[in-house]
Amino acid sequence: MPADSTARRELSLPPYLLLILPAVTFMVLMYAYPFVSSILRSFINPQGEFSFENYTKTIDLYLKDIGFTFAVTIVSTAVAAVLAILLAVYLRLRQNRISRALAALYKVPIFIPFVVVAQMMNSFLAPHGILNLALAKLNVINLENPLQLFNFYGLTFGFVWKMIPFSTLIIHGGFQMIDNSYIEAARSCGAGLGRVITRVLIPMNRSSILVALVLVYSQIVGTFTLPYMLIGGKIPTTITVDIAHRINYFRDFGVANTLGVFSYLLVLITAIYYLRSSVKKMTGYQASEV
Amino acid sequence: MPAKRALVLTAEILLLVAVFLLIIGPMMSLFIWSVAHRWYWPSTLPQEVGFEYWKQALGMRTSLAIGSISIIPAFLLSLTIAVVVVIISMLIAIPAGYALAKYRIPFGTIIMFLFLMPNAFPQQPIFVNLLRVFTRWGLAGTVQGVILVHILVGLVFGVWITSATFRSIPNYLEEAARSVGASRLYTFFHITLPLAAPGLLASSVFVFITSLDEFTGTFFIGLPFVSTLPMTLYSSSGYNMQFASVIAIILLIPSILFMTLIQRVLRAEYVGGMG
Repeated sequence: MPADSTARRELSLPPYLLLILPAVTFMVLMYAYPFVSSILRSFINPQGEFSFENYTKTIDLYLKDIGFTFAVTIVSTAVAAVLAILLAVYLRLRQNRISRALAALYKVPIFIPFVVVAQMMNSFLAPHGILNLALAKLNVINLENPLQLFNFYGLTFGFVWKMIPFSTLIIHGGFQMIDNSYIEAARSCGAGLGRVITRVLIPMNRSSILVALVLVYSQIVGTFTLPYMLIGGKIPTTITVDIAHRINYFRDFGVANTLGVFSYLLVLITAIYYLRSSVKKMTGYQASEV
Repeated sequence: MPAKRALVLTAEILLLVAVFLLIIGPMMSLFIWSVAHRWYWPSTLPQEVGFEYWKQALGMRTSLAIGSISIIPAFLLSLTIAVVVVIISMLIAIPAGYALAKYRIPFGTIIMFLFLMPNAFPQQPIFVNLLRVFTRWGLAGTVQGVILVHILVGLVFGVWITSATFRSIPNYLEEAARSVGASRLYTFFHITLPLAAPGLLASSVFVFITSLDEFTGTFFIGLPFVSTLPMTLYSSSGYNMQFASVIAIILLIPSILFMTLIQRVLRAEYVGGMG
């Protein structure tokens, strides 16, 4: 590099500063500031003093809902992960017309927004909805006594429905990186399907399965639309619905923020994992290019 | 073992049918509701079907019936907001994505954290606290406020997708142009930008759809004055299933179109945190 250009660079601002400044400024004002203030304000009582009042109140009123949120999230994540792994295994090991049709089909819901999923589930899972009508036609249930699904089960169904395509996409992507020779080697040593899945495919694809789990888990904790439109104010409900009620009915930012802190705590482990692995991946890219 | 093969094939077909029914079932439910003129329990299908509610919703026929709504104003509002959000987000995201991809930035890790945090933590508390600030600034319940929140949601994806796009363009192409005397700006506009165009387009479409579908931020910042399509869906859901279903289908179409268009290049960073 010629000497004069180095000198110029020292005098003027580095070019990336100008490029990145607008985005960083926006994120600091619109994200970092409200994020920090959501934590700080959870310690400020309605009189404006520092106290744990919001926390005692939140635990008094909403402990059950915090547990409910955690339970729905864990169950939905687990069910979605198991089904997604099975689907991805099938898509990886089988190449025929049916598997290709399935590969095209499963992706359809990927970008359907939660508000649409919520409305769908609202009508699909209703006591007199299509699901109950169909099950009654098949004589599985009696229409006089339909399945009540505007609760834990319906919410889990909705989350699993929305999350399977996304997790399958990530996990299947990982499976495709595994070379056929590993699978054939295991087979030639006499491994059956079960062993190929548990000893070769899943261990070799641990990282993308983990990423899918983490993203699905943290997304479900933070989802407001689906529980709000499916369960609403019924008890128990999710943290996100409680936050909305706290704001809409009471303008109570203290307890709303405390609930927010509890939702941060629920995702703390997955968030740390996600942030660390993403930064590692990204700095890895940069290092390999320099 | 032909018997075993037949069994496996049957199982596969059953799997395909089951997945098909599970995916299509809820969508069919929307469609049937949107054309149900009369549907009394316990009939499996509506007694009378037609496109009356579609016509009313699309403003082709006005009805004085209670609960009848035209969704055209909400549609136009959502469209306008989405266009503004795409323009501003991409103007901010493209330079930032380029810088993140091509420069070694001091405190780069902290900056990356800033753009990764919204995917890692629930965003609702952010909207709650923005509501407090926006109320003070007179932005709560305004279209400007909603646009700012949509930019926040879209910018994160915009930055990551554009940065991944720029990273996929090899540095030596730019270096070659620079070595024959092209300026930095000339290189960017004549070499990098054309190569990045498909990725940037996909990123813009993604931000557009994110804004079109955004619910939670609009709920906190926009209510009760800013009625975007998702807000109209929400307010007619429950008591007016037909209109809610019509709006849901209208919101469904762009998301499925987008999915089919970017099938081939679908990556995880395009997907996380929709809705």
